[in-house]
Amino acid sequence: MVKRSGVLATAASLGLVATLLSSCGGSDDALVWYTNPDTGGQAAVAAACSKKLGFEIDTQVLPQDAGQQRIQLARRLAAEDPAIDLMSIDPPYTAEFANAGYLAPIPDDMQQRFRDQAFDGAVEAATWDDQLVVAPFWSNTQVLWYRKSFADKAGIDMSQPVTWDQIIQAASKNGGTVAVQSNKYEGYAVWINALISGAGGEIATDTEKGADATIEVDSPAGEDAAGVIAELARSKAAPPDMSIAQEGQAGTTFGGDTGAFMVNWTYVLTGAGYPEDVVKDIGYTRYPQTVAGEESRPPYGGIGIGVSAYSDHEDEAIKALECITSPDNQGLNAELTGNMPSSPEGYKWPALKKIYPQDLLDLFQQSLDAAAPRTVTPYWSDISGALISRFHPPSSVDKDTPADAQKFIEDVLQQRSLL
Amino acid sequence: MTTTAQAPVGAPVPAKKAVASDRSSAENKLGIRLVAPAVVVMLLVTAWPMIQALYLSLFRYRLTTPDEKEFVGIGNYATVLGDGLFWKDTVNTVIIMVVTVAVELVIGFVFAMVMHKVIFARGAIRTSILIPYGIITVVSAFAWQFTFSLNNGWVNSWFSWLPWISDNTNWFGDHWPAMFAIMVSEIWKTTPFMSLLLLAGLSQVSEDMLEAAQVDGATWWQRLFKVILPNMRAAIMVAVLFRALDAFRIFDNIFVMTRGAQDTESSSFLTYRQVIEQFQLGLGSALSVLLFLTVLLLAFLIVKLFRVDLAQARGEG
Amino acid sequence: MSSKSRAGSLAGTSVGFVVILVWCLLPVAWIISLSFKSAAETGAGSPHFLPQDATLDNYKTILGFGTLSDGSTPDPTVSDAFLRALLNSFGVALIATALSVVFATLAAYAIARLEFRGKRLVLSLALAIAMFPVVSLVGPLFDMWRTFHLFNTWPGLIIPYMTFTLPLAIWTLSAFFREIPWEMEQAAQVDGATSWQAFRKVIVPLAAPGVFTAAILTFFFAWNEFVLAISLTSTTSSRTVPAQMSFFVGADPFNPPYGQLATASVVVTVPIIVIVLLFQRKIVAGLTSGAVKG
Repeated sequence: MVKRSGVLATAASLGLVATLLSSCGGSDDALVWYTNPDTGGQAAVAAACSKKLGFEIDTQVLPQDAGQQRIQLARRLAAEDPAIDLMSIDPPYTAEFANAGYLAPIPDDMQQRFRDQAFDGAVEAATWDDQLVVAPFWSNTQVLWYRKSFADKAGIDMSQPVTWDQIIQAASKNGGTVAVQSNKYEGYAVWINALISGAGGEIATDTEKGADATIEVDSPAGEDAAGVIAELARSKAAPPDMSIAQEGQAGTTFGGDTGAFMVNWTYVLTGAGYPEDVVKDIGYTRYPQTVAGEESRPPYGGIGIGVSAYSDHEDEAIKALECITSPDNQGLNAELTGNMPSSPEGYKWPALKKIYPQDLLDLFQQSLDAAAPRTVTPYWSDISGALISRFHPPSSVDKDTPADAQKFIEDVLQQRSLL
Repeated sequence: MTTTAQAPVGAPVPAKKAVASDRSSAENKLGIRLVAPAVVVMLLVTAWPMIQALYLSLFRYRLTTPDEKEFVGIGNYATVLGDGLFWKDTVNTVIIMVVTVAVELVIGFVFAMVMHKVIFARGAIRTSILIPYGIITVVSAFAWQFTFSLNNGWVNSWFSWLPWISDNTNWFGDHWPAMFAIMVSEIWKTTPFMSLLLLAGLSQVSEDMLEAAQVDGATWWQRLFKVILPNMRAAIMVAVLFRALDAFRIFDNIFVMTRGAQDTESSSFLTYRQVIEQFQLGLGSALSVLLFLTVLLLAFLIVKLFRVDLAQARGEG
Repeated sequence: MSSKSRAGSLAGTSVGFVVILVWCLLPVAWIISLSFKSAAETGAGSPHFLPQDATLDNYKTILGFGTLSDGSTPDPTVSDAFLRALLNSFGVALIATALSVVFATLAAYAIARLEFRGKRLVLSLALAIAMFPVVSLVGPLFDMWRTFHLFNTWPGLIIPYMTFTLPLAIWTLSAFFREIPWEMEQAAQVDGATSWQAFRKVIVPLAAPGVFTAAILTFFFAWNEFVLAISLTSTTSSRTVPAQMSFFVGADPFNPPYGQLATASVVVTVPIIVIVLLFQRKIVAGLTSGAVKG
């Protein structure tokens, strides 16, 4: 009997411990904003808005990788966790979250204000089912970065639009590299999407049909894209770590001895920590063309801020949303992180002009205007995952890859294949 | 994750004769009461979720598109079993299991011999061999990932005299080098467990028999294969059984070192990805059920094929 | 002849001894060395084994003290997250160990001492659970935990950790309990001790080493566990160190925080090394007693 009551006592204390632990969370009145990792921009914006609005906004940092950010957020939203109020959402997953009912609706008048304020690409990426479901906060794009000394040596004229073929040839003939993002991760889908869009194609259309959307990877545009990847991967211009390169590795390659060309986001200039002599040697121009003569479509990236449908503080969160995404705060964030504003107004933040040359700020805005967002669909993670799995490693890409990828994406969407 | 495991021990206390039946019935009750909490906790977290998995596996069910949930019968199983990726990952897992267990068996045996023979600093050697055993698998994976790292590792610079290694060897850029790195981490971390089990077996081989064999003029190899190994059979088989099943569940090393890139995915990793990363609760549950059945089958095969006598290992033989 | 071969075998053993030490300790030395390398050194590519210019910056950043070599204070978010994860790891592992050992002690006592129906069934169940593929549970457990609001909480980890450490604890403990000369309890009672006194003075001291050993092995498991830790948690409020480390990639995409990860690795390995140094005999006994002793 002594033993038995011992068991009961243990069970009871387990229960007690459980209640105690599950009830201890953060303080109840502060809003919690889940941010992607950055160099302090979003934390500064949260502090500014806390001060302005008179209630506390705390930030919690999500993992680095966009796919992991999606997983962490979606799992907690599926668990209807009230401890998320605001979240920084990467554009390709916005539709999925909205479609699953994880996002609280934004009032109509506010939606209109956000639409008027932001770049078109940013609005497009933030819209699902005719509703603006997140507020565009920062908008990012890629440009072609090059080493001036190398371009001189290779005798390539960088004042004119260049094609992928040109830079790959120039780099491989002169002992340089073309740094890209082609690890098996979302960043590779960014590159593939930009290449396909640059050839006038699109990865998927009819996305309102959900899993029955039309996939258009197996197309002339898809073949052009595969051609560029295959050419680079097989050339001497391919960095040794091409198959695992993300933004950081690409940045390191570009800053090293063989650095020649790189496509990378806007924050690379301030973020990569290049020594003075390298910074002086860096030039920039519009994203390369997939097909000669056809305008390039630079990638679109960024962050939209969403309010959780399960938040206990929805009204305050909506107020915070407006404050966070105001042009001044977009500017402040850009100053601290190199993640550029989502609105022309945000670019007027005075500190930006001190950090960046005017022609670079202009290039960013032009590129944003021409940018091709990734297809807006709740199934983007499946489409992108299937696409990457067939295009990775880059050295395996050949003329059959687009057809192969197309079939695989369709099979995955129809649950005929495992991803 | 490394489940440290040994064969169960609880041999029944020899039945006491002439025990009054009410006494034995009271003992029976007490016994059941004492094991009940442990049994409940064990079943709560395994049996019930497995039933749940069985149920979910019959649906097309993606967490973020719940409106499209639909009963598909055994459709998910058909998809999985007809899928190249599933089989590729299964083959990967089997390769990892066979290679790591075989290598560990050899290295572990050598280590056990050394520990058995060593007459100095026994504490030092035991302590150092327990460090890989106790270290977190994730830490081991990071340590080896950095070891093989292109820019920051020492493997490329120390071994560049080997014809197939240069300063630019990208270990995680191709299938086999990446598998190699994963297996090195797995082997490093789990060999101590193997060698300690073998050491225990080794200490059971009677010195008298060895001396008798030596007097009869048996060579070292003959003694090893004719006397030592046969007498360690039970220990070897138990070690192989537990390490094989553990290696089959390999996950941590792959997650940290490659995230499954370069086709280094294992069955466990595939299941994790479907359920947790892609929210495919239906397909993922089908994979969970299949993984569970595979492990059962594997345990059965190892026990039958190698005639592992668990009863004997338990001390009931 | 015999002395010659003995000398030969001593030389062989010594070589083996050194090989084992190098094998076991080289990777540990490597992460320790890496933990003293600066971000600048790893960022530029540093294939040297030892740091060129050793710095404590990583420790300051991970543990959140002092000022860095560039004069700035370390980023508190990094140390907050890590220390919180360390607290989670200790809390979850210690509670799971305590509960698991209590339940296992009861069960092991019954298995070692009593005759009851279903004893073999319990042992087989424990065996089956030791072999259970944990990954196949993450889906249904996630689904259950979000319904019971156990997702991303300590109990959400403690409960499954108990399940998966119980088999280990039951085996180890029943192996130890079978070795206890229980008749001494009766002898003490004959000598005039009450049954409680007999239990406390005679049995507890004999059983304690076994319980302690089981606790160490259980703690190792919970400290090491990864699959459930990443699947059933999502924030620092419950994430344990292995999960936190696997998601920690630093704020700066251009400098993967090799040094900081190595530092975190060193810090979480310290408790393991302390336990191993203090209790290596018990751990070896616990690991091997159940396996082959019979």
